[in-house]
Amino acid sequence: MDHLAPPLTALISELEKLPTIGPKTAARLAFYLLSASKEDAEALSRAILDLKSKVRFCSRCFSLTEGDPCSICSDPRRDASLLCVVAEAKDVYAIERTMSYRGRYHVLGGLISPIEGIGIAQLKIAELTERVRKDGVAEAIIATNPNAEGESTALYLARLLAPLGVKVTRLAYGLPIGGDLDYADEVTLTRALEGRRSL
Amino acid sequence: MRVQSLDLANFRNYAALHFSPPGGVCVFIGDNAQGKSNLLEALSLLATGKSFRAARESDLIRAGTPLARVAARVGTKNGDVTASCLITRVGEGARKRFVRNGRTVAYAQFLGGIAAVTFMPSDLALVSGPPALRRRFLNAALSQADRTYYRDHAAYTKIVVQKNALLKAASGVERALLSTYNQQLAAVGSQLLCARARYVQRLSLSAAEVHARWVGATPGFSIRYAPSPALPAGDASPGAALAALERALEAALPAELVRKSALVGPHRDDVEFLLAGEPLGRFGSQGQQRTAVLAVKSAEYALLAAASGEPPLLLLDDVLSELDATRQRTFMSSIADCEQVFVTATEAPDAPTLGGAHVYEIVDGRVEASAHAKTG
Repeated sequence: MDHLAPPLTALISELEKLPTIGPKTAARLAFYLLSASKEDAEALSRAILDLKSKVRFCSRCFSLTEGDPCSICSDPRRDASLLCVVAEAKDVYAIERTMSYRGRYHVLGGLISPIEGIGIAQLKIAELTERVRKDGVAEAIIATNPNAEGESTALYLARLLAPLGVKVTRLAYGLPIGGDLDYADEVTLTRALEGRRSL
Repeated sequence: MRVQSLDLANFRNYAALHFSPPGGVCVFIGDNAQGKSNLLEALSLLATGKSFRAARESDLIRAGTPLARVAARVGTKNGDVTASCLITRVGEGARKRFVRNGRTVAYAQFLGGIAAVTFMPSDLALVSGPPALRRRFLNAALSQADRTYYRDHAAYTKIVVQKNALLKAASGVERALLSTYNQQLAAVGSQLLCARARYVQRLSLSAAEVHARWVGATPGFSIRYAPSPALPAGDASPGAALAALERALEAALPAELVRKSALVGPHRDDVEFLLAGEPLGRFGSQGQQRTAVLAVKSAEYALLAAASGEPPLLLLDDVLSELDATRQRTFMSSIADCEQVFVTATEAPDAPTLGGAHVYEIVDGRVEASAHAKTG
């Protein structure tokens, strides 16, 4: 890329560092930005800078936010007795997209995995019990991923929260909507059968 | 189940091979290091997704090339299946990709598409070797016949790894988390335990029958499952297994905290081979152990045939070399009726022993119809 202008090669090599972006896509994006309006380019660079300077963790739920507490924690219309426990902030985003959950969240910051050195102390678990104790939580919905670490973490939290007199629930296992039965793996199908409901 | 064609590209010493084996018995003869066992290894790879002998999977890729491919078209009772495995060099290691009927599938989905039973000289250690060999045998046999077993075993192994890491954690052991892992281990472990108990019981019956046919009804051969923990009165019902495992995990807790390792559960199981009630591993002669392993393998074949509803492929690596001429003949006639069998040997047995077998010579990564071959 010696023949390109240095600012262009600099942008291309920065873009290449991003996940899922290879050299070709990076070059295409760089040339696109070159041809885009000055306003668009400035808006993008400002958005990136704001991301680093203005986004932080909410002191209550540990989700990502600009103001503290976050817009969900400070929204009085949100049901404070309902608490959805997730592993990562991106899971909050996933559940919010459903527009059907009106409770609050608690982000653990990962899943328990001693093999990776992630124990109870590395996650926001003490903060979770504190919230359950003080905020009048009636139900804690454990929405960790249905993989090995997610299951262990969910079971551990259930064990931890049960003595506090809170109802602990787990997201249902089942089939993806619009999917084909014969594409589903046996375990998913078995769980879906176990969790069937009457019509 | 019958292999109609096998294609290899840069697999072991095969640069390129297209081979359309006939049904019945195929004998591959050739000197050492010509590629006889590599053919069986390729077929076994398509059945189990793993090499039966490579310590490093990058060894499967022909030297100096980046990618190996093994593909086969297999006729099954549900129609033709194409299966292939691509092995790519990644750094020092290798990555595998599985394709079935043209679609990339996960390992768990790939398993069980093609069923095969393999026998090779190192299997003789099954009787007298360490328990890990017998657990590996159980896991491989059950995973092929039962996909739920494979999943349960994978899940169980993951939790054991996490539990061991927790027991070794420098920051101290969080007891509630340890109890959580034990709860999960008891739930999945009891499933494994029940599946293994059922399997060993059927394996024992079938192997005893074969053994009696070969060497007479006495002394009787049997296989005994020795689970960890031992089950009270041998009751292997799901409820009893769960209760026993829960109790044993609870009881082992102090010792586990001291030794910093998971001490009870199916990862410590064993299987005993008995002749007239005595452990063969300690008291059996070489010949008795050999006969026992062959009986176990033919029982595995029978059970896999029953589970999948059709005879699996039979892959026999170098089984004739230690048999005298009479036993070679008996052995060859005992496999003559199998749907498809692949046998390797350094020397071609004589014509009466071969019977109706098709013979191929393997020379430096090429397969050639042999002068010994019967026509057709």
